[in-house]
Amino acid sequence: MDKSARRKPKKQKNYLKKRFFIFATLALILVVGSYFSERLCPYDPYEQNLSIAKASPSLAHPFGTDRYGRDMLSRVIVGSKTSIYSTLLLVVGITVIGTIVGIICGWNGKKLDTILMRISDIFLAFPGLVFALAVAAVMGGGVQNAVIALGAISWPKYARIARSQTLAQKESLYMRAAILSGCSTGKLILKHILPNITGPILVTAMLDIGTMMMELAGLSFLGLGAKPPVAEWGSMMSDTRNLLTTHPWVTFAPGIAIFLSVMVFNLLGDTVRDLLDPRNER
Amino acid sequence: MKKNMKKIMALLLTVTLSLGLYGCGSKNDKTESGTSTAAESDTSAAATDGSEKKTLVIGDTTFNPSNEELDVNPHNSYSGWACIRYGIGETLVKYSDDMELEPWLAKEWENTDPLTWKITLQDHVTFSSGRAMDAEAVKQCLEHLLANHDRAAADTKIDSMEADGQVLTIHTSEPKPALLNYLGDPYGCIIDVDAGFDDGIVAGTGPYIATDCQSGDHLTLVKNENYWNGTPHIDELTIKTITDGNTLANALLSGEIQAAYGMAYESYPMFENDNFTFSQISTSRCFFLKMNFNEGSVCTDPAVRKAIAMGIDKEGFVENLLEGNGYPANGTFPAGSAFGGDKVTTETYDAEGAKKVLEEAGWTDTDGDGIREKDGQKLQIKWLTYPSRQELPLLAESAQATLKDIGIDVDINCTADNNSVVQDPAAWDVYAMANVQAPTGDPEYWFTVFATSNATKNQGAYKNEKLDQLEEQLSQEFDTDKRAKLAVEMQQTVLDDNAFVYCSFLKMSQISRANVTGYMAHACDYYQVTADLDIN
Repeated sequence: MDKSARRKPKKQKNYLKKRFFIFATLALILVVGSYFSERLCPYDPYEQNLSIAKASPSLAHPFGTDRYGRDMLSRVIVGSKTSIYSTLLLVVGITVIGTIVGIICGWNGKKLDTILMRISDIFLAFPGLVFALAVAAVMGGGVQNAVIALGAISWPKYARIARSQTLAQKESLYMRAAILSGCSTGKLILKHILPNITGPILVTAMLDIGTMMMELAGLSFLGLGAKPPVAEWGSMMSDTRNLLTTHPWVTFAPGIAIFLSVMVFNLLGDTVRDLLDPRNER
Repeated sequence: MKKNMKKIMALLLTVTLSLGLYGCGSKNDKTESGTSTAAESDTSAAATDGSEKKTLVIGDTTFNPSNEELDVNPHNSYSGWACIRYGIGETLVKYSDDMELEPWLAKEWENTDPLTWKITLQDHVTFSSGRAMDAEAVKQCLEHLLANHDRAAADTKIDSMEADGQVLTIHTSEPKPALLNYLGDPYGCIIDVDAGFDDGIVAGTGPYIATDCQSGDHLTLVKNENYWNGTPHIDELTIKTITDGNTLANALLSGEIQAAYGMAYESYPMFENDNFTFSQISTSRCFFLKMNFNEGSVCTDPAVRKAIAMGIDKEGFVENLLEGNGYPANGTFPAGSAFGGDKVTTETYDAEGAKKVLEEAGWTDTDGDGIREKDGQKLQIKWLTYPSRQELPLLAESAQATLKDIGIDVDINCTADNNSVVQDPAAWDVYAMANVQAPTGDPEYWFTVFATSNATKNQGAYKNEKLDQLEEQLSQEFDTDKRAKLAVEMQQTVLDDNAFVYCSFLKMSQISRANVTGYMAHACDYYQVTADLDIN
């Protein structure tokens, strides 16, 4: 009885590691593949050829062509760079900024904590996409502005997590010992606090990749993200909406790309969360 | 006791939840059955509405501020288009399918001398306010028009008017051969000025009366029981503004609307079956580019303008993106008129030639990024357009690709706020727009609106003295043949400057469900709702 109870978590852990390996590989393929996307394209994704406009899927064009005769497969491949890298940049940005703000608040406390947390409350009070729409509308379209818009509303979540974790760590016994032994503030934060709060922040960031990818695609779909002729999955779906009934493959191609990428990053996030869950350590 | 209490509470909660679920369920059932009934018999539901009241909803992409249709007051900007298009107002003269003048509210007219026009009005016409339409009412309306409209006074040159029963005498300050044509423009809708302009609603003589007007959203109309020229059939007519082409197509498919104006050509295949009726006609509606001549714009360079004119694949655009619903434009006016079609010559699509033109003007790609530079300035053009004409964004993206081939970078700004943006000379270099070139059947209108140095919509500050002199002559020329010759010469002047690039003329279609009758497209593109409109 005892033996099997001990083996079970181990089995679970191995299963999680295997799962992590599969999804991390898939995510890596997406990230590396999108980096070399221009070289992987069978055709120039921006070259118009009106004589083959709206061609249905064939061996030459597996995803068909759009209304300008551009190869949809090439556009989906090259669109991955805009979509995936913008998302990664966004998630890294909000994680770093949010964590820094959170640690400052948690460590300093007092007035600075109150001011920064009230600012984050203001951002949290806005409905996410509506605020991002307003920011993108004021600053104009473009992927860069869409990333800034989403970043502006997404950092407080990380600040909140980092702050609460810092507060908990600050009061722990080992921290008191470190303070008593004369560690500098920088060393205390970098060597003791940061490594101990990384887990929950990392899990949140991993789980956010899929959400952010959807939100960026959503902004682009609404015309506030990528501008023509830039290939970006959300704007590609928006551009081809009129053809949904008559030539569905042009909308289907970027749609399936979003679906698969979001799924891979979400499953990877879930696996990382399960791996870092202390219950699986027992 | 405590145990019993818990049991009673649990029972109560279960009963409450069950009742709640039942309530939600039955409510949903009702909604669903209502929806399915509406979907199954959309048109009959729309037509009868239980109390045998005939209602009809038309979806339209253009009734919005982006198209300068702010309400239905014809004396306000381009709102006259909404006034006449939706059957509220009528003009003194109307146009035949060949764009020839025909009597409408005016029975007959006579040019007694070059400066005097005698117009006899129809008898027994009343405004929707109840007032009889006589010469005094028309005089009052035209005086209000001249005082308030931005183009009317300069177009018509009306000096004074005299009213006598049903006869209106108009004196112009200078000979105005096209006066009647101008009075047939939508701004010439005859309305009862005394009835007021509350909420932008006016009292006209048309088959329908506006009751609620929200530009950009909807317009509600009821039938004019005292209409003078037939019997309107629809009790309540709604014009619903739907700017997005996809939404418009789905609304017509689902039966939410029963007729549509401005449908994207790409959506036509969805309606090419027995359930829908197409009414299609060639119009003088044209997609064209207006160049910015203001200081600072790259389009002040003649070589850049010429390269743009040579860098647009009109044939490809018409064939593939307009799906053949038009033809490439040569000049300002379509073929078929005495002053249109191949009577003028212009640049044709020639990418290699365009490269040469730019090369000779000193525009070269020095940094190898595919975009040309000159004196450190990148050859980038800001392309302004708007989405309510569904194919304008497609023209922009098509031109973006062909112009990139010759080394011009195109930055597209497709916005519904086009009318404000175009006022800022630094915000655009090329303005792509759709316009009915000869809504009055006469060529003079286009030049005085877009091209002469004091034209009302010459935001690009284009100025050519020869053109201004020719317009001076045209404005006073009564002979139709001479007018046509002058119009051809004026077009050629504009084309030689590449001040405007004409891309295509369009066939306009109105699509309705098969049980809608009398919803016919007209060559002028602004007669839409008439007394013949009906739903069975």
